[in-house]
Amino acid sequence: MAGLTFKHIYKVYPNGTKAVNDFNMNVEDKEFIVFVGPSGCGKSTTLRMVAGLEDISAGELTIGDLVVNDVEPKDRDIAMVFQNYALYPHMTVYDNIAFGLRLRKVPRDELHKNGKMTREEIHAKVTEAAEILGITEYLGKKPKEMSGGQRQRVSLGRAIVREPKVMLLDEPLSNLDAKLRTQMRSEISKLHKKLNTTFIYVTHDQVEAMTMGTRIVVMKDGYIQQIDTPKNLYNYPGNKFVAGFIGTPQMNFFTGTLKKLGENVEICLAGSSSVITVPYSKLYKVVPTYLDGKTTVCIGLRAEDISIDPEKISNAEALIKVKVSHKEELGNQTLIYGDINMEGDGYGESGTRVIIQADEAEAESGDIIVAALNVDKLHLFDVETERSILPRLPEYNYLDCKVAGGKLLLQGVSISLPPAISCADGEYRLLVPTDAVKIGGDIEAEAISSEKINGKNLVSLNVEGRRMFAVSKEEVPCGKLNISFDLKKISLSNDSGIVVAAMPEKVCMEGYMYKEKVKETAERNGKQKTVTRIAFFLNIGGAVFPAPDKISAKLISAMGVKKAFGGKLRYECSPYDLTFAESGIPAEVLYVADYGAEKFAVCNICGNTAYVRCDGDVSGNVYLMPNIDALSVIQSEMDIRII
Amino acid sequence: MAKKLRSKKGAERLSNAIIYVILVIISFIWLVPFAYMLMQSFRGEIGLATSSFFPRKWTFDNYIKLFTETKPFNFLKWYGTTLIIAVVVTVIQTVIVLVTSYALSRLRFKMRKPLMNLMLVLGMFPGFMSMTALYFLLKLMNLTQDFGIVGLIFVYVGSSCMGYYVCKGFFDTIPRSLDEAARIDGASRRMVFFKIILPLAKPIIIYTVLTSFLAPWGEYMFASLITLGNQNNWNVAVGLKEMLQRETAAEYFTRFCAAAVIVSIVPTGLFFMLQRYYVEGVTGGSVKG
Repeated sequence: MAGLTFKHIYKVYPNGTKAVNDFNMNVEDKEFIVFVGPSGCGKSTTLRMVAGLEDISAGELTIGDLVVNDVEPKDRDIAMVFQNYALYPHMTVYDNIAFGLRLRKVPRDELHKNGKMTREEIHAKVTEAAEILGITEYLGKKPKEMSGGQRQRVSLGRAIVREPKVMLLDEPLSNLDAKLRTQMRSEISKLHKKLNTTFIYVTHDQVEAMTMGTRIVVMKDGYIQQIDTPKNLYNYPGNKFVAGFIGTPQMNFFTGTLKKLGENVEICLAGSSSVITVPYSKLYKVVPTYLDGKTTVCIGLRAEDISIDPEKISNAEALIKVKVSHKEELGNQTLIYGDINMEGDGYGESGTRVIIQADEAEAESGDIIVAALNVDKLHLFDVETERSILPRLPEYNYLDCKVAGGKLLLQGVSISLPPAISCADGEYRLLVPTDAVKIGGDIEAEAISSEKINGKNLVSLNVEGRRMFAVSKEEVPCGKLNISFDLKKISLSNDSGIVVAAMPEKVCMEGYMYKEKVKETAERNGKQKTVTRIAFFLNIGGAVFPAPDKISAKLISAMGVKKAFGGKLRYECSPYDLTFAESGIPAEVLYVADYGAEKFAVCNICGNTAYVRCDGDVSGNVYLMPNIDALSVIQSEMDIRII
Repeated sequence: MAKKLRSKKGAERLSNAIIYVILVIISFIWLVPFAYMLMQSFRGEIGLATSSFFPRKWTFDNYIKLFTETKPFNFLKWYGTTLIIAVVVTVIQTVIVLVTSYALSRLRFKMRKPLMNLMLVLGMFPGFMSMTALYFLLKLMNLTQDFGIVGLIFVYVGSSCMGYYVCKGFFDTIPRSLDEAARIDGASRRMVFFKIILPLAKPIIIYTVLTSFLAPWGEYMFASLITLGNQNNWNVAVGLKEMLQRETAAEYFTRFCAAAVIVSIVPTGLFFMLQRYYVEGVTGGSVKG
């Protein structure tokens, strides 16, 4: 019983293809995690890396408390179920299940003189597993005499007798027919409850993912798209891919523009003459730059959120005209395919095609009908990046403000600015990250609501009539409270661009690793001898440091012996991990940014700007010493995070 | 419609008939020499050339004399030598081929592809191209003539691993997930090979055994060169050829035929016994259900 941690896991093939990119995740004990995505998205590769059947190129994988990167599959305490069952065809079902137990080493004692389990122990385990899975009567048969479902049960049996910490299932139901699949699905869920162990399940079938997982990892092209519970994935997809992948029929996507008009937002859909008006209160979280009426956005709405029910139409906030092209009868419901563009055909996937879910439909092909849109369930995405612009957890607060006399004026709130933030008096747009809004301070506000999202609390605040969001780790009760801004993180901009930028959270430096023969005197057999050995060094921003074994070993294992040396590396650390020293990385102090409570020296390290925490005034050329243990190392060429 | 159907059936019959006629002719051509040899082995009268296909006087003497008369030709000795060589070569060669094929099928190492291609290309050169060189090498090691048997085994086994191709193809059809499942179950590579792969590879093992046995069983060229001059180390092919020298041919021809029949019994018997697996082995990759 154990959880898993994936820390910056990469899979890079020798030809340079990256199958898995920067996979980060924490799997809690006893969770049922589903990896889902289209073929070639890296889900199986990730699973095989957990199993130890595939090497991990970079990153760290922990099962329980043990880093298992270099541990043999058999010692990882895992069990795996394969898509093609992978039963040993020449053995009976009994022998298939017992195979692993017979090989297993147990501590030698009176009962286990040869370090193996006794025949009786094995028999007890095999029969127990067979009973759980209902395959007792087949124990004497060979796999080829059994049906697909029975074979998969044997395969599960072989896995559960190992009593693994983690069960890995690689598309176990893909080879079964539809009915059997549904049945096995619930059986696997039942097994998960019974065994009370961590499951990782790979599938390309989103229905399987939705029905079985406690959390789902949606992957595409080797990248994680979103990790969340089935319900949240369905209701709050983080990007267009997730929105389209989860749920059948697929979500309708339209292109259009949003325009804020007073307290309302007007939505124009391309190809349709219908204009939809939505109260702004429902779209508070939308990034304001998209509300200009010019930027094209992608508007998503699920088939069940569009209705042709007369009752709903009469109460609807938004209506749209649809030309019906064809219907799909599913028995309990009907899918109406149509087009909001009167010239469109409704067959191909386009920015105007619409699928409506209805209980029954009298509309015929070619009819023009009116449908009601449930604007509470709108999903909005950027056209280019496909990311949600109506995020569940907003990243920034977008505010208008004035600067006058060293003070930031926010409609009734006045904040004195530290010397580091200085700009000409005038009107600016203020960007405050939601995590820069701190509870406690001198700005009066009112917490309207608080919701828990992915372990964080999103607090909606009313600051002098403005809506703001804050992210906090603790729960915040509704009511009056005081807040403050972390001024290091805010930025100001006007029409000519960014005037005051937020302090970067990371310091970047460049360099490379190299090897050199070094001579050392060592004592051998009581004699002083000169020994030559190869040592690894890191060049960081022009200064040389001996490379810690951790970094050099990981770099070599990720890049191979040839490419590990000389390739460009990028180092990242926080401004607090650099200190002024007598020697080290040469840097030039450009100026000192004074944020009031803290001061940072802005330095130039070989062309990179770095913020370094300082106490007093510093200037001129200085040397910086990094905290090498806290350094992140990234291979620039392949963009692989080594540590 | 009906007319068309009938005409199709007629055409099918005709083409079948033609095919069978051709097959019968071919098998007749193939079987005649063997039948002739069989007949001659039962012939009582002495002489090389006779005008009749069937013997005028039937006898079993040729077979008896073959084993009882050891001078000047010791057939039993040759037979034993050949059997020893063939069995030893079969054992070694089968092991080498299986192990090589498994490695090439399952392990991924540098130069794997080039190595496979190199072996394939080398295998295309006829073996006797290296005859002279091999002879001198073996002579240096004193493995000709008196120790000719050892030398021959070396020669036959030497290029074993080049026969990996069919066997590797078979291993490739065994799903890799079986290996992986076994490795997760706690088996080492060696255990995977012996406990999982080998039991499943029965057809290809038999195919390998058969091919490795047949090659040295009838081999003449190397055997004649390497055991040159030492009658005791001759194999049947060399010995039987010697029987048909100008001076002895007339007297020993019928005995030669009897020997040929006996020599062909072992491979024929093996083949009949293992025929089922052999076909499975050769076609294993293509028609896996």
